[in-house]
Amino acid sequence: MLLEQVEYVRPDSVDEALALLADEDSAAPLAGGQSLVNILKNRVAAVELLVDISALTELRRISAAPDGSLEIGACVTYDELDNSGEVRAAHRALADAAGHIEDQQIRNRGTIGGNCCLSDPTNNLPPLLVALDATMHLRSRSGRREVAALDFFKGYFATALEPGELLVSIGLPAPPPLSGTGYVSLAVAADAKAIVRCAATVRLENGRGATTIGGSRVVLARVAHVPIRHLQMESRLNGREASEEAVRAAAEAVGEGLEPITDMHGSSEYRRRMARVVACRAVLEAVADARQGGAPAPAPGSPR
Amino acid sequence: MSERSVAHPVTFTVNGEEHRRVVPARQLLVHLLRDTLGLTGTHIGCDTGNCGACTVIYNGKLVKSCMLLAPQADGAEIETVEGLADGGQLNGLQQAFREHHALQCGYCTPGMLMSATYLLRHNPSPTEEEIRRGIRGNVCRCTGYVNIVRAVKAAADALPASLEKLEKGAAR
Repeated sequence: MLLEQVEYVRPDSVDEALALLADEDSAAPLAGGQSLVNILKNRVAAVELLVDISALTELRRISAAPDGSLEIGACVTYDELDNSGEVRAAHRALADAAGHIEDQQIRNRGTIGGNCCLSDPTNNLPPLLVALDATMHLRSRSGRREVAALDFFKGYFATALEPGELLVSIGLPAPPPLSGTGYVSLAVAADAKAIVRCAATVRLENGRGATTIGGSRVVLARVAHVPIRHLQMESRLNGREASEEAVRAAAEAVGEGLEPITDMHGSSEYRRRMARVVACRAVLEAVADARQGGAPAPAPGSPR
Repeated sequence: MSERSVAHPVTFTVNGEEHRRVVPARQLLVHLLRDTLGLTGTHIGCDTGNCGACTVIYNGKLVKSCMLLAPQADGAEIETVEGLADGGQLNGLQQAFREHHALQCGYCTPGMLMSATYLLRHNPSPTEEEIRRGIRGNVCRCTGYVNIVRAVKAAADALPASLEKLEKGAAR
């Protein structure tokens, strides 16, 4: 298929890219293109200039700081996240999530920044990045700013990016000691879009026994326009025992107040009920991850 | 910086052979290969990045050529299905596809071969599950995949006979 007439440019630096994006109202940064090229084919976006940032080395680095935090360039691909020793060591859940996106061809091109900037509510990475308390580093010709991942996603295909602004990297704080991550999605088939999903992080306390939840983040996706923290479930977890019974009891808070959409993949009521199920499983997975630093064994009678 | 334009001069190689063209910014890489260069071994199936029929290797990475733009070919080394056989002699992987009846209509085959080539370069002795994961981005509506998986396994088992050829490709 031939796209509509469009100009293309491949800048040599982020500064050049920012100047181009600032000067042209209908310019769009082209990263991996695994969504944007289809958007252009479908003529659903009016783009007059494609600014190809996919090969800019400034955007393709993964750097680990001595304190254990990571900064991941916006144009790092899913395959690179999957195969990065640094990402896998600090955030196995992120490496695994990236390694399960679609197929090898898409993982070789699709980028973490593109996944976030599209803000497609079915995308895998946004809820996980909110749970990991990521910080989005934005640049424009006039300066830099940082936005918490929680505040970056604004709605269906909408983010906090202002015109002329570019997501350049994503910062991840070092995981605290005795912390773990769980990520559970409900879908009808391996290739299907998630109907509802939950990313959870927990930090355990009480030394080696790790019996109490000291802090938590429970982030639900596909129940609202953007990934949301379920503060009520979090407050029911924090300070309580890290047991299956206590987590199940805390998950009872999930459901009330949620108004998910009804679509061909599931009704609103189904999503509300399943949100509770995936939230419970994700937190249990996070607890097991925190205890073992390894893959949790599924609980008997709870098929994944 | 490249010139901002609706048409771009590009220099690139396909299967080791250099090409220079001026391409429209709105042209897809798959059309540059098929329509401009006449390399019609790379097929177009869905044109939406789902079916994998247009799969090629771009700078060593497996990609769907309907999801890249022709100007992105500039400076690239591209490998297509035409580069697999050596002067009409099928390579080990192609021979395995033939022996194991890994194709019926053949439409998906070029993409399958490129995905399997990439897989075997990175993992010369894949398990069945790894083979299935490796060709996940390639849809076949005829075979049910069983014989394709068998063929890739057979090609892997026949290595290093075919490894030499694959490595030659990787070194390009």
